[in-house]
Amino acid sequence: MSPAIEVRHLTRRFGDFVAVDDVSFDVGVGEIFGYLGANGAGKSTTIRMLCGLLTPSSGGARVAGFDVGSEPERVKAGIGYMSQKFSLYLDLSVRANLEFFASAYGAQGRTLSTRIAEMVERMGLGAVEDAVTGSLPGGLQQRVALASAVLHRPRIVFLDEPTAGVDPVQRRTFWALIRDLAAQGTTVFVTTHYMDEAENCARIGIMVDGKLVALDTPTGLKRTHAPGRVLEVRGPRLSVALDALKGTPGVLDVSRFGAGATVRVDPERMAPEALAAWLRARGVDPLEMEESAPTLDDVFLALTARAQRGDD
Amino acid sequence: MTTPTRRGSATLGRILAMAGKEVLHIRRDIRTLYLALAMPVLMLVLFGFGISFDVDHLELAVVDQDRTDLSRALVRQVTASGEFVAIEDGTSPEAALQQLRRGHAAGVLLLPHGFAEDVQRGTAQVQLLVDGADGNTATQALAKAQALVEVASRQLLGAGAPVQAPPLEVRVRTLFNPDARSAMFLVPGLAAYLLAIVAVIITALTVAREWERGSMEQLFATPVGRLEIVVGKLLPYLGIGVLQVLLVLTVGAWVFDVPVRGSLVALGLGALLFLVGMLGQGLLISVVTRNQMVATQVATISSVLPSMLLSGFIFPIENLPLPLKVISTVIPARYFVSTLRGVLLRGNGLDVLWPQLLALALFAVFVLVLATRRFQRRLD
Repeated sequence: MSPAIEVRHLTRRFGDFVAVDDVSFDVGVGEIFGYLGANGAGKSTTIRMLCGLLTPSSGGARVAGFDVGSEPERVKAGIGYMSQKFSLYLDLSVRANLEFFASAYGAQGRTLSTRIAEMVERMGLGAVEDAVTGSLPGGLQQRVALASAVLHRPRIVFLDEPTAGVDPVQRRTFWALIRDLAAQGTTVFVTTHYMDEAENCARIGIMVDGKLVALDTPTGLKRTHAPGRVLEVRGPRLSVALDALKGTPGVLDVSRFGAGATVRVDPERMAPEALAAWLRARGVDPLEMEESAPTLDDVFLALTARAQRGDD
Repeated sequence: MTTPTRRGSATLGRILAMAGKEVLHIRRDIRTLYLALAMPVLMLVLFGFGISFDVDHLELAVVDQDRTDLSRALVRQVTASGEFVAIEDGTSPEAALQQLRRGHAAGVLLLPHGFAEDVQRGTAQVQLLVDGADGNTATQALAKAQALVEVASRQLLGAGAPVQAPPLEVRVRTLFNPDARSAMFLVPGLAAYLLAIVAVIITALTVAREWERGSMEQLFATPVGRLEIVVGKLLPYLGIGVLQVLLVLTVGAWVFDVPVRGSLVALGLGALLFLVGMLGQGLLISVVTRNQMVATQVATISSVLPSMLLSGFIFPIENLPLPLKVISTVIPARYFVSTLRGVLLRGNGLDVLWPQLLALALFAVFVLVLATRRFQRRLD
């Protein structure tokens, strides 16, 4: 089966600024593909090109079997798009919004009402169907927006920062809905800057300054870009030792948080016990040392740090 | 095959979806509708009653120095029609002038000593002083007073002196609006003015709002075409515009006795074409500005000023300086005002008004094509 999304050397310039720089990747049918990056890294620009809203400066992409540059209308008919601000009509009721977007995609009569009924049921919107959309909390608005983006049963759905500004409980519910969609064969392309959410994705692409710097499964990314073990160290006078720690063999990465620091070590060369001994030797008594697995945060920090240093 | 019809019905469906959504917006913000319907009526009544170019009940300070039966008869004659009201009688010319200067009187009628004797001799003179500060009133007052005095003195002569050869008779007759009532001119001009404002501003606002809120981006991601967006968005406001036209004409007929003498087809066609042009202008503004604040300001300036000043609503086009006259040829309100005056007052039909309608149609097509072209369904 050919991939749902094929991106080849996709580039977009705005004047001298290169927002998306020679990006290539594939997304398989039914896959949840995460697109990570800081603000301004080129996530939204990529998504807009893939949705046929922006013309690529060079390179291109095929989405749902159509070229985004030359056949944007065919692309649009086959996809769902939830833009960064949930672009619902806040002065209209939930039902009016759903009806409008369903008919915008050509649903009429009975099809329209069954699909809306089904979507209301699936997204748990029964109680708020007649409420004015603007009066709902963010989490519910976000579900209405998702519902209006997938009402027409697109094969691919693009979600641009769908969980921005939504509380953790609602975010979890939302991701359950996304997994549900994918399980039914919908390809999901989602951007986020919440690293914990990205764990839900089958594969993740990481954007730094317009370039796709890494692309793998979450596990693969951690293995490649954040190997070793992560130790959270807390203790008095910790800060004095941290600078010296950075250059020590076996220490891969040091980052500070609050009263402590996260130290990623290569366990072959610097075991947790050795780190404790090293710290004590410099007069710092680590009161607490907790071991955890590397997270995507570590991956992201490592990648952005590397990009800032300018090496590849 | 069935593809064209199916595509046609899909297009219709999407247009109706857009229009339906817009109706819901209007219903949610019902003040817009009140504003759109109440403002024309309110303004029509205000303009119709309050701002009158008619010369009626002009206050005239009468200085009768002669104090004879004949002079008193003349004053009675002048004031009998109701166009002039005598407010002072028998004071000195200086006091009367003071009245004029203070604005208490619009004019002074002076009948000098020996007026009655002069009448017998055929050399009588009366003096009329008018306040030239109000040019419109002065001109009309002068014309009316002249006519009245002429008629009156002829009658007086006939009564008191041997019949002479009838003097040359000058008669001014105002056609189509025999009473020269302002409402007759105002209703057509006002209709164009109000329609222009409401149509341009509301359209500019609603489209700019979609840009501002980001829902335009969402719309662009759907298969709804730009023409479908444009038509769907404009339809409900076209409906409101038609309601406004009917309302203004009804109030005009009911309150101010403005007739509808000519072709209703020409009237309807003119109103429709004018509205489409105004909606297109609003659309173009919002497509270019993409911002509600700027859109409102540009819409206000570009609709209020031309439709008030360059349409013939207040200032006759013939009296405009040449550069403004040239500009007025691209102002649709000008053609709509003359269409309305043609139908309402002169009883014209399509045979006379087609050039006006053609001009309106040209503007509508031009502005809609321009707006739709500028209205790219892409974000770049």
